Amino acid sequence: MEKYTNVELMICMAARLVEDERTVFVGYGMPQIAAILAQRLYAPNIIQVYEYGAVGPEVATPFRRNMMADARNSYRALAWTTMNPIMWMASAGYIDYGFLGAAQLDPYGNINSTMIGGTYERPGRRFTGSGGGNEVASLCLRTVILMRHQKRKFVEKVEFITSPGYLDGSPGARERAGLPRDGGPYRVVTDKAIFDYDEETRRMRLIGLAPGTTVDGVLAEMGFEPLVAPADELMLMEPPRLAELEMLREDIDPDRVIIGRVG
Amino acid sequence: MQRAIEDTFKVLESGQAQVLLQDVDDVRAWMRDNKSRALVDKRMTEQEAVSRFVHDGAYLSYDLSSMVRGLASLEREVVRQGIRDLWVAAKFTLLDTTILVAGGCVSKIDVGFAGLGRTLFKAIEQGRVQIFDWSNGTLALRHLAGAMGVPFLPTRSLGGTDTFKHSGAKLIEEPFTGKRVVLVPAVNPDVAIIHVNQADIYGNARIFGPSITPVETAMASKRVVLSTEEIIETEQIRRSPNRTTIPYFLVDAVVLAPYGAHPGTCPGLYAYDAEHLDEFFAATTDEAMQVYLDKYVYGVASHQEYLEVIGIEKLLSLREAERIREGYYV
Repeated sequence: MEKYTNVELMICMAARLVEDERTVFVGYGMPQIAAILAQRLYAPNIIQVYEYGAVGPEVATPFRRNMMADARNSYRALAWTTMNPIMWMASAGYIDYGFLGAAQLDPYGNINSTMIGGTYERPGRRFTGSGGGNEVASLCLRTVILMRHQKRKFVEKVEFITSPGYLDGSPGARERAGLPRDGGPYRVVTDKAIFDYDEETRRMRLIGLAPGTTVDGVLAEMGFEPLVAPADELMLMEPPRLAELEMLREDIDPDRVIIGRVG
Repeated sequence: MQRAIEDTFKVLESGQAQVLLQDVDDVRAWMRDNKSRALVDKRMTEQEAVSRFVHDGAYLSYDLSSMVRGLASLEREVVRQGIRDLWVAAKFTLLDTTILVAGGCVSKIDVGFAGLGRTLFKAIEQGRVQIFDWSNGTLALRHLAGAMGVPFLPTRSLGGTDTFKHSGAKLIEEPFTGKRVVLVPAVNPDVAIIHVNQADIYGNARIFGPSITPVETAMASKRVVLSTEEIIETEQIRRSPNRTTIPYFLVDAVVLAPYGAHPGTCPGLYAYDAEHLDEFFAATTDEAMQVYLDKYVYGVASHQEYLEVIGIEKLLSLREAERIREGYYV
C-alpha cells in the first residue's frame, strides 16, 4: 500500500468533505491544496474565493512556495475584485465553506493564531494574527479547521481567541457578540481524526478516525476531552487513494512544498 | 418598538486599542484645501517623494497584496531615509511591515496580518513595537470608512474574540432592528504608498488584477505616493476609462519604478524572486537582517542601484518566468 504523509492525509480527508457547486474561502497552503484537489477529483464546480480578490480561479499548478495572489493563483478566475467586496460576499451569506488553520483550538472551536505565553504587551511567542481568519470564522456558513493532531494544540481554553468558534458554547453566544445567526465551526480535520460539533452543546465531537487510529489514540493526544460519537456511528476514514496521491504528487504539488515527502 | 430600540443604541463593549481618531469634518476640510485638483506633472524621484510626504510619526498605509506589487521600492526608501515612529497599517502584507520594523521605522502596528519574519515577531515580543490587533477585513473596512468620510462602519465579524478586545472596535445594538453589530472606526492615513502597473504624469493610475484596498486607501489618505512600472499618456487613460483604478486628484507623487515590486511579483510582468525571498527569510537574527539591509537598502542610494545589485540576468529571468499575461496586459 502506498505510504503518505500526515499532510497528504489531512488534505485528502478535507477534499472529500466539500460539496460541489459551493463557494469555498481558502487561504495559503493546505486549504488551497485541498480545494484544488477537491476540484480536480470530486467537486469540479466549486468556486474558490480568496481574500485578495480572486473569485473562482483555475489555479495554475504546480504549487510554488509563497504562491499567494500572484498570476498563477489568480489564473482564469471568473472575477477579480478587491478585499472589501470579498468580505461583503461572506457577510451577505454567499460563502459556503471557509478553510482555516489553527495554532490552538478549544472545545468550542475557538482559534488562536495570535500569541502563546506572556502577556499581550510582551507575548512569549507572537504569530501573524488574524489575517482573514477572523472573517472566515465569523462569516462563512461552515468553517473547516485543518490542523496537526498534537496535544499542545488542543487546549481547554485558548490563550487568545483570534477567530470565533462557538465562543463559550452557550445558545446564541455568537449572535450576542455581533456575529451572524448562522455559521460557525463545521468540521475539524487532523491527521488522526475528524470532528464535528454537537448541535446542542456546541462541543467538539469525534466522528471519524484516520486509518490506523483508535479512539484512545486520538484522545491521548488532546488536552481536552471531546464528545465521542457512538462506536457504531464512528466513521473509519479511507487512507489517501491512489488517484488522490497521484494528483497531489504529480500535478498539484510535485515540489512537495505543502504535502511533504514520505519518510 | 421603535423607541425601545433607540433607547438601546449604546456601546455594549469596547476594544482597548489606541485608535487614531480624527474629526471627519477636519479630514474633509484638509482634502478640500490640500489636495489640488490641478493637472500638474507629479513625477519625482523616490527620494523626493518620501522626504516630502513621509514624515516621522506619520500613519502610513501601504496597499499591496502579499508578494504582489510589494515589497515596494518606496518602502526601502523609507528605511533608507531613517523615518521614525511610524504607525503602520499591516494589511495583506508579508515582507513590508517586517522590513520597516527591521529598519527601526515603526512604533505602532495595526495588525490585519502582521507579516512574516522572525525579526518582526521578536520586535513585538520584546516590546519594541506596539501592536493593535484587528483583522484583514476590518482594516480594509476602516479604510473604506475613511474613504467615505464617515466616522465608522459596521461589520458582522470581530465580535466575541480577544482580537476584538485588543482592537479599537465597539459592540452596539443598532438602532434600526436592534441587531448586535461591531463598529470599526475610520482610518485616514497621513500617507499611502501604492505600487501600480501604469500611471500618467498627473497620477491617473491603473492596477491590473485583484487587489486589496487601493481605491479606499488612496481616497482615505491625506497624501498618496504612487510608484509605477511605467508612465503612460493620459490619452490612453481616456480611451479605457474602465481601467482606471485611482483618479489623479487623489495622488501627490508619481515615481517611475520599473521592477518596483521586486522581490515580489507584478503579475503579467515579472515573477517573484524565490532566491531573494529565501535570503530575506533566512535573516532570522537582528545581525543577519542588518546584513540584508546593508546590502539591499543602506548600501544602495536608489532603486536603480538596487536593481544593479539584483543584476540584469536575474531581472530578465524573472520576466521570462512570468508566463501568464492574459487578464493583465492582454
